[in-house]
Parts: sequence; C-alpha cells; structure tokens
Amino acid sequence: MPDAAAWLERIRALTLPHPVRVLNVCGGHERTIGMAGLRGVLPDNVVLIPGPGCPVCICPEEDILSAIQLALVPGVIFVAFGDMLRVPANVAKSEIRSLVEARAQGADVRPIASPADAVAIARANPNRQVAFFVAGFETTAAPVAAMLHEGLPDNLSLLLSARRTWPAVALLLNSEAAGFEGLIAPGHVATIMGPEEWRFVVDRHGIPTAIAGFTAGSILAALYSVLRQIAEKRPFLDNCYSAFVRPAGNRRAQDCLADQFDDIDAAWRGIGTIPASGFALKPHWAGHDARLLFPNHLEGVRRRVGDMPPGCDCARVVMGRISPVECRLYGKACTPRTPVGPCMVSDEGACRIWWANGQRPDTADAARQ
Amino acid sequence: MSRITLAHGNGGRFMRELVRDVFARRFGGSVIDDAVGLPPADGIVVVTADGFIVDPLEFPGGDIGSLAVHGTVNDLAVSGAVPRWMTLSFIIEEGFKIDRLDRIAASIARAAADCGVTIVAGDTKVVPNGQGGGLYIAASGIGMRPVDVALGMKAITVGDCLLVNGPVGDHGTAVLLARQAFGLRGDLRSDSASVLPFARAAVAIPGLRFMRDPTRGGIATVANEISQETGFRVLLDERTLPIREPVRGICDMLGYDPLYLACEGRVVAVVDPARAADLLVVWRGLPNGEGAAIIGRVEAGRPRVVLRTVLGGERLLDELEDDPLPRIC
Repeated sequence: MPDAAAWLERIRALTLPHPVRVLNVCGGHERTIGMAGLRGVLPDNVVLIPGPGCPVCICPEEDILSAIQLALVPGVIFVAFGDMLRVPANVAKSEIRSLVEARAQGADVRPIASPADAVAIARANPNRQVAFFVAGFETTAAPVAAMLHEGLPDNLSLLLSARRTWPAVALLLNSEAAGFEGLIAPGHVATIMGPEEWRFVVDRHGIPTAIAGFTAGSILAALYSVLRQIAEKRPFLDNCYSAFVRPAGNRRAQDCLADQFDDIDAAWRGIGTIPASGFALKPHWAGHDARLLFPNHLEGVRRRVGDMPPGCDCARVVMGRISPVECRLYGKACTPRTPVGPCMVSDEGACRIWWANGQRPDTADAARQ
Repeated sequence: MSRITLAHGNGGRFMRELVRDVFARRFGGSVIDDAVGLPPADGIVVVTADGFIVDPLEFPGGDIGSLAVHGTVNDLAVSGAVPRWMTLSFIIEEGFKIDRLDRIAASIARAAADCGVTIVAGDTKVVPNGQGGGLYIAASGIGMRPVDVALGMKAITVGDCLLVNGPVGDHGTAVLLARQAFGLRGDLRSDSASVLPFARAAVAIPGLRFMRDPTRGGIATVANEISQETGFRVLLDERTLPIREPVRGICDMLGYDPLYLACEGRVVAVVDPARAADLLVVWRGLPNGEGAAIIGRVEAGRPRVVLRTVLGGERLLDELEDDPLPRIC
C-alpha cells in the first residue's frame, strides 16, 4: 500500500483534461485535509470542496431552540454531544442563545461522547428526567438505534434530529449546477450503510466517486482514484477504505435502524426540507419522545428572523457553493470566539476547520488551505 | 480525625498538629516559622510564583504535589537559574482525607529532594466543603543564576533552531485519561519531571538564546510567544516533532491537537544553528532525553507559527482560542 507521499506523487503525475472540483461530505475528512495541509500541496487545477458533512451545521435552528428550552425545564438533565453546546440559535442576544448559555443560567446540561453515557446518566439519576439531544448522521443514528434495541431506562427520552448523508448529495446533484466533478464519500457512513448507497452518484450522474478513510493517505488514495477516473473518462465507485467498508455494509446496524426509526422528510438548517433524509422514532417509542413528553417547552413569543442570522452564509458553505473565506462574516463578525453561524462552532464545521488551520480573510500569504 | 475540618485552618491546635505531623515531618522544621532567613549566595536571585490546580489530584506519572515542585523548579531552570528554595501554600477543602494530604506531602518531599530544593516556608488554609477542588497549591520558588548567564528572546535571530527534550502532549493526554472521561482508558504517563538537567546542559552550550517549558497551551503556544515577541516567523517540522502514538491516537479520536496540550517535563530551547547538533547530542545522552529532537527554526517573514506537514503542506498554528482541556495544570 503506497503511503501518503506516494499517492501525492501519483496525483501530480496525472494529466487532467480540465480543472477539477472534488467534494467531500465528512467533517472528519475536512479535518484531515486541513491538518495535513493538503490543499497547499495539490496541483492548482485540483480544488477540494468541503460539502454537507457537519451534523452540527445542518441541525435545524428550531431543534437547537427546542433543545435550549427543554434544557431549561426545571429538574431535567439535558445531555448532548459536546459540539452542540455552543451552537447559537437565531434569537436576540439578550435571550438564551445556546446550551452553554442555558447551563450558565442554571440548566443541568451535560456533554457526552456516546449514547452509553446518556443511559448511564439516566440510571444514576432515576428520579429525574434525562433528555438526550440526538443530532448526527448515520454514524450517530446507528448506535442510538442499538441503544433503543437494548431498551431505555424509563426516565430517558430522545430529542431526535438525526439525518442521512446521501440525500444532501442527491439534492446537489439534482440542482442546476452540482458544482463538483468528483466525490470523496464518507468512510464511516459507508461502513454502516454499505458502499452501494453512493452508487447513484456514478450510475445516475456519471460522477467519479471513491470512499475514503480518515488518514491523509486514505484521502489521497481516494482523490487519486477520482482524478484518474476523470482523466480516463471511466467513472466507477471505488472503495479506498476496504479494510472497514464491506459490500452491503453492516446489516445488523441497518436492521436496527429500520426497526427503531421511520424515514421522514427532514429540515436541514438553511437548506430546507430534503425528502427522506431524516430519522423519526417509531410510534412505539412515543413514551420516550422528548417532543411529545415536553410538548409545552417552546414557550414565549419569539421573533424569528430566519434559519440563519442575517449575513450568515453557512448554508452555502455547507453545500459547497462557496468556500468559508467567501462568507463576508468569516473572520470578522464570525470567529470561533464569537460564532455567528454553526459552521464556525463545530470541530467538523468547515469554517472552524479552516480558521483553526490558519485561513484568514485578510492574509494572502497565510498557510494555504 | 482522618479528614480535614475547618478547625485545621483556624490557627489553633488542630492546625498546629497538622503542620507538625504532616508538613514539618515531610519538609523539615523551618516551615513552622512565619518567616525564614536564607543564607547569602553568589549570583542573581531569581524568584517565581505559580499556582497548581489539577483534576484528578493524582494521575499516572505524578500528582499535584510533584507537579507543584516540577512546575516551580522548571520555571527557574529555564531562566538559567539553579533552584534552591520553595514556599508552598495549601488551600484545602473541608473533608479532604489527611492520609491523602500526607501522601501528596511525601510526593512533594521526594520531588524536592530530587531537584535539590528545600521547602522553607508554608501556609495552610481550609475552605468549606464544596468551595474548592479538594486541594490547591500556591508555590513560590527562589533560585540563583550566575551573573554571566543572560537568556532571553531578544537574543533570538533568524536561522536559530528550536529543540525539545522529548515527546510532547503526554501530560495533557495522561490527565485526560486519568479522568476516565469519554470512557477512555490507557496506560499513558504524565511527563511531569524536573527539566533541570536539560536546562543546565543547555546553559553550558555557547549560542543558547532562550528556553521555556511548554506547559499550558503546549509547544504551539511557546512557538507563538517566540514569534510574537521577536517578530519573526517560526517554522515547526512535523517530520521531526516527537509525539507518541497513543497521544496521537487519542487526540485524533477526540479532536485535540497534541501541539497545544500541556507538557510538564519538557523544555524548548532556541539555539544558534551551528550549535544545535551539539545540544541535541548532549540532551539525547541524558536520562529520559532519548526523544529529544530539533523541531524547527526561526525564519524571516510575518510573525506567525507555521507547521510544515509530513506531506510538505503548511498549516498555521494560531494562538489557542478555546481551552481544549480545562484545568489540566
């Protein structure tokens, strides 16, 4: 197996017929690209575009607000993945805008790293209601489905806001201009759902696709595959993460997902509703559905000004339509210290990753992205 | 009585007995006095102050006590001084087990003896249950520096090399694992140690410009301090930066960058490029110095810290924004 440097040499040796834009749909991929400084070492005619791969970024604004209100219900322990805590809802600055601010106001908000933590907290606090904010992609939905399969403590409920990855890519491909000529598909999602989920990109749209793992070497291998497919005009679905991604994926996990969840049309923050892109609890879980258990938690009058704060271009960043530095708030009104939109919050958000790796709006000589 | 009560901080009998039975027994009698005289000595008197909070108080490779000694000693050592005396103030939470306090005091005594420093004065306060993190330690250190040793960032110039005496990120990662946060476990040890042998060896090398211990904020933060103070660009080389595999793996998993994690037994030296290889040989020959490496250089250009990646790409290492690991040192 060639190493990252060898894949890079192969990429440089390719002759491409035209400049190529390659989309990735995984925050983990984008992080690796930034950490390894890949954009600075690739040929100029190859552009890597971060796509809809950050679960925090696409979590609907109304769900964030629901989460904040629910966390403020007296007696409730609210658990969420750490990334969700700082995402701002689009409300006036005088109001409680994030779970972190809710915690500062006395709400019992606890960051967790896995569904097992939520169960453990519920078991340790049998006299309190524990609500678990489940935002994420298939990689989160599958372990949560497994948790449901095992059975839930009576006092644990879910605020479910999980999404499938491929429908967002389908939305891009079905739009007037997809904006990319090659796709690097997410390795962990494919491990669960199987590589076949991405076949439509090749079969229906003729776009070269390769599934990648999370090292720089694996991403460069997938990139080489995509570029070579373009050079040879021979698109196919390549699997560059074959140690983990097996044909048909993890059947047990898929069965679990199908047993516990229904597919629903679901909102993506700033993007709109994407058909069959969300998971909903099966009706028999109604007793653990936080949306049903706490129906009145959305209290008070709220002047909504839209999904995203004024001027925030996160939606176009998420869909790969513009790069982070092209947002006019990037690095000015919006920094990791004072994030305006969700892409600047999560470690998987493109803006946060670009910022962390040194991309600044005012410096041409910054380390190139 | 096996636990600290508010009475142990009231100045009365309980406190006198605690000082006698724990602190004076471990550190020597002079800590009972309110003030102590130090013998006259040659050179420049160097003073440092530091506070220590860590969760958990005991972790693989050390505890808050050894950390307090090493942290204080290292601040003196990297200035070119020889550490001699320390004072320690203990802020103890009501309910703290006296056995545990004694264990930590013993650890302090061991670390101090290893470093050749004497604990000469101390203080004890007790805060009510729930108002402290078990134990906080405030320390001061006094050392002597020869008059002809003058280190500082002003001496740093373009072309100078940066060296580190071992792998980075061990302490931050070990403390994280010791909290058993995120269900993670591992056998990684903190690098908490005195850097005095390394500092003394470096001071003996002509062309040494500056030293600093990369504690909070890690190696990237030291590089940023150098860059901002000198106005030069600092280039770090990922190919030579020593990071242990478990540290790298855990950081990958949790999204941390080891270059920003605290070290407690590491020193960064900036040295004349003509003498960098000499210093590397000397450091590698010291106990626990086998992981020493030349990790970068000072360059002309905008004051930034840039990491040259293994693939030849560049990544800017900015000043730390959020705290990646609260309360680790």
